[in-house]
Amino acid sequence: MIKGLVADIERFSTHDGPGIRTVVFLKGCPLRCAWCHNPECISYEPQELFYPERCIGCGKCAEGCYSGARVMCGREMCAEEVMEEVLRDRAYYGQIGGVTVSGGEPLAQPAFTRELIEACRREGISVAIESSMIRYDEELLSGIDLLMADIKVMDDGLHRTYTGVSNRRILENLRRADALGVPMLIRTPIIPGVNDTQKNIAETADFLRTLRHLRGYELLPYHPLGQSKAEALGLCRPAFSVPTKEKMEELRTYADLQGSLGGNAPHKN
Amino acid sequence: MLTYKDRLAAMRRTKIEHTLQKRAQNGYTDLDDFGTVPLPDGYYVEPCYNSENGSFYGLDGMCENFCRVIGAHPAYVDPMEMLCGRWRDMLVNYRGDIHYMPDWIKKNERLRNFMSSGVTAQWSKRWDEKTYPYDELKPLQKKYNLTTGIDGDAHFACDYRIGLSLGFGGLLEKIRYYRTVNPDKQAFYDAEERVVLAIVAFIDRHIEAIREMIPAEERPELRESLQTMLCVCENVRMGAPKTFHEACQWVAFFNCAARIYTRDGAGFQLDTLLLPYYEADVAAGRLDDETAKFLIANLLLIDPHYYQISGVDENDRDLTNHLSYLILDGADAINISCNLTVRVHDNCDPAFLRHAVACLFRNKNGFPRFCCDKTLCEGYMRNGVDRSVARERIAVGCNWMCVPGREFPMNDTVKVNIAKVLEVALEELRYVPEPSVESLYGLFEMHLQIALDVIAKGVNHHLDHVHAVTPELVMNLMFHHCLEEGKDASECAELFTVGVDGAGLAVVADSLAAIEQRIEREKKLDWGVLYEALDTDFADQRVHDIMASVPKYCSGGSLADAWAKRLTETFARAVKAQPMPKGRQLIPGWFSWARSIEYGAAVGTMPNGRRRAEPLSHGANPNPHFRKDGAVTAQSEGIASVQCGYGNTAPLQLEFDPKLTEEEGGIDVVLQLIRAHFEQGGTLININILDGEKLLEANENPNLHPDLVVRVTGFTAYFASLSPKFRQLVVDRFLEGM
Repeated sequence: MIKGLVADIERFSTHDGPGIRTVVFLKGCPLRCAWCHNPECISYEPQELFYPERCIGCGKCAEGCYSGARVMCGREMCAEEVMEEVLRDRAYYGQIGGVTVSGGEPLAQPAFTRELIEACRREGISVAIESSMIRYDEELLSGIDLLMADIKVMDDGLHRTYTGVSNRRILENLRRADALGVPMLIRTPIIPGVNDTQKNIAETADFLRTLRHLRGYELLPYHPLGQSKAEALGLCRPAFSVPTKEKMEELRTYADLQGSLGGNAPHKN
Repeated sequence: MLTYKDRLAAMRRTKIEHTLQKRAQNGYTDLDDFGTVPLPDGYYVEPCYNSENGSFYGLDGMCENFCRVIGAHPAYVDPMEMLCGRWRDMLVNYRGDIHYMPDWIKKNERLRNFMSSGVTAQWSKRWDEKTYPYDELKPLQKKYNLTTGIDGDAHFACDYRIGLSLGFGGLLEKIRYYRTVNPDKQAFYDAEERVVLAIVAFIDRHIEAIREMIPAEERPELRESLQTMLCVCENVRMGAPKTFHEACQWVAFFNCAARIYTRDGAGFQLDTLLLPYYEADVAAGRLDDETAKFLIANLLLIDPHYYQISGVDENDRDLTNHLSYLILDGADAINISCNLTVRVHDNCDPAFLRHAVACLFRNKNGFPRFCCDKTLCEGYMRNGVDRSVARERIAVGCNWMCVPGREFPMNDTVKVNIAKVLEVALEELRYVPEPSVESLYGLFEMHLQIALDVIAKGVNHHLDHVHAVTPELVMNLMFHHCLEEGKDASECAELFTVGVDGAGLAVVADSLAAIEQRIEREKKLDWGVLYEALDTDFADQRVHDIMASVPKYCSGGSLADAWAKRLTETFARAVKAQPMPKGRQLIPGWFSWARSIEYGAAVGTMPNGRRRAEPLSHGANPNPHFRKDGAVTAQSEGIASVQCGYGNTAPLQLEFDPKLTEEEGGIDVVLQLIRAHFEQGGTLININILDGEKLLEANENPNLHPDLVVRVTGFTAYFASLSPKFRQLVVDRFLEGM
């Protein structure tokens, strides 16, 4: 049985796809987004996060840390083990909820992700993935009910600067997924000073209009949650500010003016 | 011209003013709002003590003091309202209960002096211990921190159909008739007759007040409204209510009286019982829906009694009707502390359920809550009760159900602090040569059995004598067989299915799991280290962290989850097996009510890392930080798995900000949560959908949001009225769900 490297499994998520969901966060991501929300999921190896404020100074780190100061992230699990946790909430998924495989990049562990999707389908549980779409896997994408992907910024130069990769392949892979008929929800994380312009929204909308299976477009405000985890990993990252409510309102209104971008039903009909 | 909307806004403003005034008069109260209004200046009642033991007891004592207190209540008429009447003070205030004693009594020197003077030999007591002592139970009550139910009041439900069909005049006639049938019960009928006449006199004062107000009222629409109010009061002072308006007013007056007497807060199946009045009025063109909603809002403002809506009859027919919707809309319109419970069942109208959940999202004030017909009904039937009776057992209390007018359940008045029982077992284990978690559990079971013996003795002592100590003179009026036989409800109930709630489940489950994992399985620590930690209140932080970091109850599939289930089986089996005389039965459940602070104060350091005297876990809820993600579904799954299964509850108490609006699918999420919890065996969901920002602001400064209502346990209360310690508990629970 194939093992995956799982960062965390979160139950009762209501913001990673429709309904009540269990989110499986996988480790490893080819992108290096400067504002990454889950920096503990970037590395393909297990890692220790250190929170000095929780350390009690017992000096017994080698015997195991119980105060929560040193936390390991990354556990090898097979799909069956993940399903044990997933099935706990089966009664709560109902008609619209289910599992979301996130990360990290689920397509970076394709064999494991495929097994997990297959296991969910056998149980009749709906599956979504959250992917950067830097990679493409037709078999895997054919098995999901919803794809959630970011278009972070349309300017390729800025995209390279802030994520370490070009957006061309991402946009191309989104077109291929669309051709495959995968329902998708596109998101743009609004990062002040990077992509919080009407121009970027307009260019994104131009691209989105070409997608036939778009179910919705969302603008998400930057959240600094990843910052403390980055510090716990010893990473140095630029600090970003949180967009104001007014800015979010302005951009959302502007996005709405771009015409129908998939409506409000981000799930398969 | 004032619209209903204007009038409701004015009523809400007055309610907020009252909340702040009440806090000034009463101090912080970790209790139900009760719907009381502030006491007027100069209010004074001198109680009549009739016992050397202090306090007042029996038919004469309770009757005389009820008449004094209700007699001192001025009329409450607000022209903005269509109904009148409010209560302000209750008999228990004069009966020496420190737990409930409001600041205004503590500050009233004249009254305090009277209550502790030579009139009574000692500080008055709720129970007549001189005549009905229970000294032999006290050492073990203390040892196990037991609440045996002795001196509890109310906690059963009236059959309102009796009162609504007879009216106060009819009740008087009934008393006078049965007085002739039972000539040896004259003292009983004397007391009941005086009680009814005192209620009628209370109504008469309202009639007089309204008459005086009418000429002075300049706004024509309010003058007309007052004239209608006058007519309604005149009709219901003796007559049985004939219209929807009259039925609401009759209930309002009765509830005021019942509250004054024993704080009784048990309502009835509101949508079903009021439906005939509603339908007749609508058919006759006397009532429109806007007026009906306003009247419901007004009734709920007068008193946040526990009412059930929706549900099924004995033939599985859905009871949801148009009035069910109007009740929710009326509650929503006044948006105060409302204790409405929706009974969810397989044939429930899905549109109504959605409407009910939408109400939670709109008001963010913790109503309605939801109970499950299938688990409650089938569970109760396991006590040997048939389905038609089980279906009549409705949600009329904090955590509890009752068959109105027929059952005397003492629900929520009898509790076992199982953390204290574990503490006793741990103490004894010190002297066991080779301790193990199994030997600890064996001792726990043994002490639980002793504790339950004491509970049973306490319950029986109460049931045997409460009719002579605190007869329920108001509630008897609407209890089957009472007036007919001249007996108290505690003597003539058809069902004595007495609720016994365990408290501290999560603390005990997590403690047993921590011992099993760290001492037995991993051998990370030994028993000596554990006892040293317990003796020093975890002076060694690392030992604390080792024990506290074991996966907790409600984390899902953990050792602690398994222990919680085993504890439930043990507790339920032991409670049910407890022999009881006279057809009485004990019914298990998990619920700590608002006593998690008080019970915690009695318990020392626990192996799960809980330090000495910290609050206990709440009801069947998990301990804080039960999962990193605080998953509500995990909590729901865990609590569904610890149901005792005999028709009493282990509620799922939820505070959360779903960060989803109605439009974003929030209603679907909550609906699915309710359905799934009940499918898995859950019984009751007390739910607070909160605005996180508002709650945290109110915790800093309660006066910023005096209208914020939270569902504390089964009851709702104004957040601003809760003590800082209790506010923090609510906030902590909320933060867990973030």
